[in-house]
Amino acid sequence: MEKIKPLCLTATVASVAFLACIWTASSALAIDNETCLECHSDDTLTRTESTGMKDSLFVDLNKFKYSVHNVNGVACVDCHADIEELDMDNEVPHAVSLAPVNCGNCHDEVAEAYQNSVHKKASHKGVDIPCYACHAYHDTTRLAMATVSERQNSFCLKCHDPYKAHDWLPAKENHFAMVECTVCHAPEVPRHVNLRFFDLVDSAFLKGDVIMRHLQTDPSGFTDLIDKDGDGTISQQEFEDLVLMLRQKDIRGVFHGELVAEINPIVHQVNRGKANRDCSQCHSVTSNFFQDVRMTFDMDDGSVSSYNVDRQVLQTYFVTFNALGTTRVRLLDKIGIALIAGGVAVVLLHLSVRLFTIPLRRKKLDHPEA
Amino acid sequence: MSKEYVHPAPVRVWHWINAFAFVLLVITGVQIRFAELINFLSLEDAVRLHNWVGFIVIADYALWYIYYFSTGKIRLYYPNLRTFAADAIKQAKYYGCGIFKGEPNPHHMTADNKFNAMQQKAYVMLMFIFLPAQIITGIFLWQVKGFENYIDMLGGIRIVDTIHVLIFYFFAAFMIAHTYLATLGHTPLAHFKAMFTGYEDH
Repeated sequence: MEKIKPLCLTATVASVAFLACIWTASSALAIDNETCLECHSDDTLTRTESTGMKDSLFVDLNKFKYSVHNVNGVACVDCHADIEELDMDNEVPHAVSLAPVNCGNCHDEVAEAYQNSVHKKASHKGVDIPCYACHAYHDTTRLAMATVSERQNSFCLKCHDPYKAHDWLPAKENHFAMVECTVCHAPEVPRHVNLRFFDLVDSAFLKGDVIMRHLQTDPSGFTDLIDKDGDGTISQQEFEDLVLMLRQKDIRGVFHGELVAEINPIVHQVNRGKANRDCSQCHSVTSNFFQDVRMTFDMDDGSVSSYNVDRQVLQTYFVTFNALGTTRVRLLDKIGIALIAGGVAVVLLHLSVRLFTIPLRRKKLDHPEA
Repeated sequence: MSKEYVHPAPVRVWHWINAFAFVLLVITGVQIRFAELINFLSLEDAVRLHNWVGFIVIADYALWYIYYFSTGKIRLYYPNLRTFAADAIKQAKYYGCGIFKGEPNPHHMTADNKFNAMQQKAYVMLMFIFLPAQIITGIFLWQVKGFENYIDMLGGIRIVDTIHVLIFYFFAAFMIAHTYLATLGHTPLAHFKAMFTGYEDH
């Protein structure tokens, strides 16, 4: 039987291939990051632009060391590829003005997808939006576990004020908090509901390692433990069993859900007119926006474990994700239909007896003494 | 047949605004909850209308509250604890049996004694528990993010949604029963007319 495979496997393989490529290039140049940081760890290091503006050349090591590039062994000169050698006899040991970093040298699929986006097309109007306008320079981090708020604050909200363009949208704050911008504005991108365990006692998201430790398992054993029927998806029953197991370990919480876009090159294809105002495309139980539901755990080693979950779990009381109509609890509708049907039945029965007994009352009216 | 002024103007205004608003809330509520099954309004319009009408109901509730408490008429809703149980049983027997035989209604409606024991019980629950609960959960669902802390205090968005939906179904069922019970006057339309004119026939 097929088992659940952590969805980060593909990304891991791609990263290894990417690293092998980078490692080869870095070794040949042999200018290591420490050499660069001898100067660039100085937070007063600046250069003066032709406009007179001062531009900081400081690289914050505390942020850089956790960046996805440093974690994956990418060296400074892999990106700043026009530095081929350093001349330490000069005050500035390399060219004072370096060529813009071309992220597309490595991220070629992303660069291609970006060509067909409103941001790239803005260059026709003289506005150049390079990758690092959104992604920052030296502290680019993994996004797989980033919340909607972290994703939006890091990217779209740097330039866009969502309150200026969503007057029509009911409960807009809730949408902004639960749905990533690109889910609507780049609708071709695969999206999924990301479920993360929120500890109600500590009021914090619980790390994957803590959950695994309490369940006495690890990311690879988690599948066997929870997905008992081995169908590759955690069913509603298996999901509720998991919550029960955690409660037995004194961990009380709920799964917090957010609708996020896949980390996929075409997420860059944001274009005008892609989002529409048809609320029912999301807010109905048949919506395909909620087909893909995943439970994700971030581990201490930086990896992310992700498991497919049946969308039925969105209708349970253990998930906080609430989309009108879509995640409605069916039991409530059954109770409601019983209430209304009961009311109608009593009325019809009473009315029938009333009509049936009209002769009786008429007789009494005609012969009151009887 | 004599007439008695039982329903003052503020009560009639409150009642009909409430009735019309409740119908709209049920229709838009059904559209919001079952968007894939029903399509007589766009979901966007349904949500917007539901919100606006919700605020009309809140304002209307304030009108009811201020009128009944400022005039002291709120005592119409208070059951007489000594006679309540016996009166309620008597009233239930009438609706279940006596009405078919043409027996007189054990409750005689006057301006000072408007509701029978069963109505008092039902309306006290409606006006002091169900409607306030529906208003509060409705406001929370209108601005989920803004009322996040209060929602969490109540046990989360799913609990608030559950309360709102269950009371919604209760009101939908209540409206059917209420409309039918209103036909049980001396003629089927007598109580309906009285709710427009203010005068009940005796």
